[in-house]
Amino acid sequence: MPKDYKDNMPISRRKFIEELRRYEKGSVSRRHFLGVTGLGFATAVMAGAVPGLRPRKAYSAGELGDRVVLATWPNYHDEANFSAFTKATGVNVQVNVFGSNEEMLAKLQAGGSGWDVFVPTNYTITTYVGEKLIEPLDLKMIPNYAADAFEPRFADAGTVGGTVYAVPKNWGTTGYVVNTKHTKGKKLTTWKEFWDITKTDFSGRTMVHDYQLTTIGNALKYFGYSFNSVDPKELADAEKLLLEVKPHLFAINSDYQPPLRNGDAWMSMCWTGDGKQLNTDMPEMEYVIGKEGGEIWSDFYAVPKRAEHRAAGYALINFLLDPAVNARETLAHGYPVADSRTNKLLPKELLEDPILYPAQELLDTLEFGAAATLTDPNRAELLARFKSA
Amino acid sequence: MQGKWINRLLLMPATAWFLVMLVLPLVVVAIFSFGERGAAGGYVPAFTLDQYLNLPARFTAFKNTLLLAPAGTLAALLIAYPLAYFLAVRASPKWKTILLVMVIVPFWTSILIRTYAWIFILGGRGIPTLLEFIGIEGVRLINTPFAVLVGIVYGYLPLMVFPIYVSLEKLDKRLLEASADLGSPPLRTFRQVTLPLSIPGIATGCMLVFILLMGEFLIPALLGGGKVFFIGNALVDLFLQSRNWAYGSAVAATLVIIMLVTVTLYMKLVARVGEQREDVSIL
Amino acid sequence: MSQPSDVEFVNVTKRFGDIVAVDHVSLSVERGAFFSFLGPSGCGKTTSLRMIAGFDQPTEGDVRLSGESVVGTPPYKRPVNMVFQHYALFPHLNVGDNIGYGLRQRTPQPPRAEIEKQVSETLELVRLSGYENRRIWELSGGQQQRVALARALINHPTVLLLDEPLAALDRKLRREMQIELQTLQREVGITFILVTHDQEEALSMSDTICIMHDGRIVQTGSPTQLYDEPINRYVADFVGKSNFFEGKVVEADGQGARIETPAGRTFAGRNPRDAASLQAGAAAVLAVRPEIIFVGSPGAGAPYDADVEAPAVIRNRIFLGEQTEYLVEAEGLGEVLVRAPKHAETQTGGFNPGDQVVIGWQAAAALALEDA
Repeated sequence: MPKDYKDNMPISRRKFIEELRRYEKGSVSRRHFLGVTGLGFATAVMAGAVPGLRPRKAYSAGELGDRVVLATWPNYHDEANFSAFTKATGVNVQVNVFGSNEEMLAKLQAGGSGWDVFVPTNYTITTYVGEKLIEPLDLKMIPNYAADAFEPRFADAGTVGGTVYAVPKNWGTTGYVVNTKHTKGKKLTTWKEFWDITKTDFSGRTMVHDYQLTTIGNALKYFGYSFNSVDPKELADAEKLLLEVKPHLFAINSDYQPPLRNGDAWMSMCWTGDGKQLNTDMPEMEYVIGKEGGEIWSDFYAVPKRAEHRAAGYALINFLLDPAVNARETLAHGYPVADSRTNKLLPKELLEDPILYPAQELLDTLEFGAAATLTDPNRAELLARFKSA
Repeated sequence: MQGKWINRLLLMPATAWFLVMLVLPLVVVAIFSFGERGAAGGYVPAFTLDQYLNLPARFTAFKNTLLLAPAGTLAALLIAYPLAYFLAVRASPKWKTILLVMVIVPFWTSILIRTYAWIFILGGRGIPTLLEFIGIEGVRLINTPFAVLVGIVYGYLPLMVFPIYVSLEKLDKRLLEASADLGSPPLRTFRQVTLPLSIPGIATGCMLVFILLMGEFLIPALLGGGKVFFIGNALVDLFLQSRNWAYGSAVAATLVIIMLVTVTLYMKLVARVGEQREDVSIL
Repeated sequence: MSQPSDVEFVNVTKRFGDIVAVDHVSLSVERGAFFSFLGPSGCGKTTSLRMIAGFDQPTEGDVRLSGESVVGTPPYKRPVNMVFQHYALFPHLNVGDNIGYGLRQRTPQPPRAEIEKQVSETLELVRLSGYENRRIWELSGGQQQRVALARALINHPTVLLLDEPLAALDRKLRREMQIELQTLQREVGITFILVTHDQEEALSMSDTICIMHDGRIVQTGSPTQLYDEPINRYVADFVGKSNFFEGKVVEADGQGARIETPAGRTFAGRNPRDAASLQAGAAAVLAVRPEIIFVGSPGAGAPYDADVEAPAVIRNRIFLGEQTEYLVEAEGLGEVLVRAPKHAETQTGGFNPGDQVVIGWQAAAALALEDA
């Protein structure tokens, strides 16, 4: 996968300061900040949202307003696509980047998020609907969305009670990446091995996400429990494991690329795209899906209620779902798409990449995240106890 | 009459600010802390002490804060004092200005960026690699309490240097001569004259650094790798991840109370010194 | 030698970079004397004092205390104590602790009770009994001055150094303290070395005064000697007031000289003791103190046989109480300052600006001096 062309470009001072302010306000995550400022190794994804640099485009200007605010995940877009969107519509894309679904929910719950479009993960959508935080999508405004082109298992979560609330963006898996230089020839294949080697040979070298769903879920897998369990007894087992492992961890942090690259950390829980990026640059980095299972996920575009630039938001979703645009997105970030129209435009070697498209028998064991984990107070508190222990 | 009106007018902005920005949030926090978490997070009105009874679940965070905040303050003091002393007493006027600017310059960039630099300095390719050159292997610094301490001291050093510098700068150098004249060698003069007379600066610096450290979350998050947890981090988590506003409010209220108690005790101590001294007031 | 010297400078020079603060100074201060350095600021008097205290070290030459060289000895090892210009009292200590400071630096430290006893005795000496627990900032300027004195005296130094000790006090208090200092010095019998720019202060307290100028000693002597026998114009000008008439020596014999002014008048004056004798043809001045000049009505006659007489016009009159000062414009002399004592004023009834008068003096009271 080609690395984002922005990766090696120095960031402008102005943009840096702007990013910094946003980070300080808490509207972007650290991971994003580090990525975008070039301070981290993560590839930069950032829209041309610098005030004063906005191109004045007469075409349909005024119709959609001059900006749209997108809340999304790090390393998850091709900036060239945003520029193209701005060129076509006169609307600048302002990007807020988040590290967990919990953070997104917290922001929407607190009110005044200011977003027009955001990217929730499959299991959170029913909660957003239940809390009346997102609106049913007006599909007439998204002609590029063709329901029959999408694989249903990655699209269904967007529909709640027969109403479409969200349309699919990308999907992926959560496994772990391991630096095989340090495994002494041993091949890791399971979550049990992930946790066990952390307590021994990899002590002080493993990272887990700062994210309840994956960190708790993959600890549950150690015991063969469901990734989504909210059973108190099973959670107690997971907590025991986590507390036992904690002294052996390098860090609890979702920004795992930099330490993996500089050699401080040898292994980390990892999402598809990061695994692909690391493996491309450092072939010794191997992406593993635990045999016991783990997470498969699908991300969506949704529109919060009372979005300020609603029309521009719909226009952006429609633009990004254009198969040609979507293909460019995947080429930039390395996450697969469930849209058959887009896949036709992608190179064969990408469609056969085992990191993006793991073997069927591995995929079969994976679970989609369950809505209950998002709101379950015990899981949230468990992670907090783990971190503060 | 007119004077009274002017006084009121002068105090109005501060009073309004104080009420809206300080008192009101504190009241909200106090009310929330007796409530409950909503089903999907947030706050549900109730009257329960459960949140306070659950405080022991954040024992480690309190412990880390209450150990590392004073330790960081002390370490900053030990490093800042000689520096401030050098700047105020020994540096030539020309160098003094240059060096003072150098102390301030880091403030022009965000603490975030500066702390991030420490991730690399303390990370595997930083100091540990240098240590390997001299044969010390297997040293791990990043994501340890030590790394957090280093970050704290680095980040807050100027806040400690300046008050001490000011108090040493205004110290009458003839007092040092007087002490020498009365038979006291330099080291004793330092202990008997310089040090006591710089207490106002020390008190101010320690107060500033300590209070800010009690609420710190950025440095532990960056240099502690999520493993060295302060109360500030616990609060970020409670409000931004688990969305448990009630419990978060209880933790915040407890932090405020701990701060109030600590600061009051400290003020009393300083006031007791101040009774004896014209130059030491409360801060 | 009648008395051993407490302080000796042997050819001492002190330079700060290019600036020569003290230039080849040699002097000796007798034990138990009240010695003053007098001069304008920048004359080297304070640097000299600081070299005795040990805050500065001489660049060349030797400084001796009780006959022993102290060059290189730090201040805290010298048996001298200083009263600083603005007292330099420790603000964080009370009066008692300030005064006891020197005792507490001793090894072994005297017992607490002993220190308290001595502090109380010293407070009594400076008439501040019972002030032990007062804060420094609660004291008046005069009281602070006494605390500073007590803080130095309690150590029984060989020499007590006083750096402009009275400069911060108001005039009346200054007079009182002058007397007190003098009394105190007699009581304790310690050598006092005072630095001052105030000639009146130096004259009223000192046994010996050393007048400095540009880092050098100009003249050393008793107050009377300096007043009556200044060796040059600088000293005559600095100590007391004088009228100076510039001119050329036309005739000199070692006892006195005749000086001719550019206006063509010739005056006689005597040579002071110790002064270098004047050479004919050299530039010189005639110094005449205002109080030896009489002023009278024209035709009323001089009160004594005046050697010099000149008609004059009163320009200005300043009433000083015990005497009256006139500035007159005298024919062939220019402006002349004259002091008339009370008894003379009663006789003449005093004069007003514009009045025609006659002034005059006796040649024996005028001094012929080097113009330096």
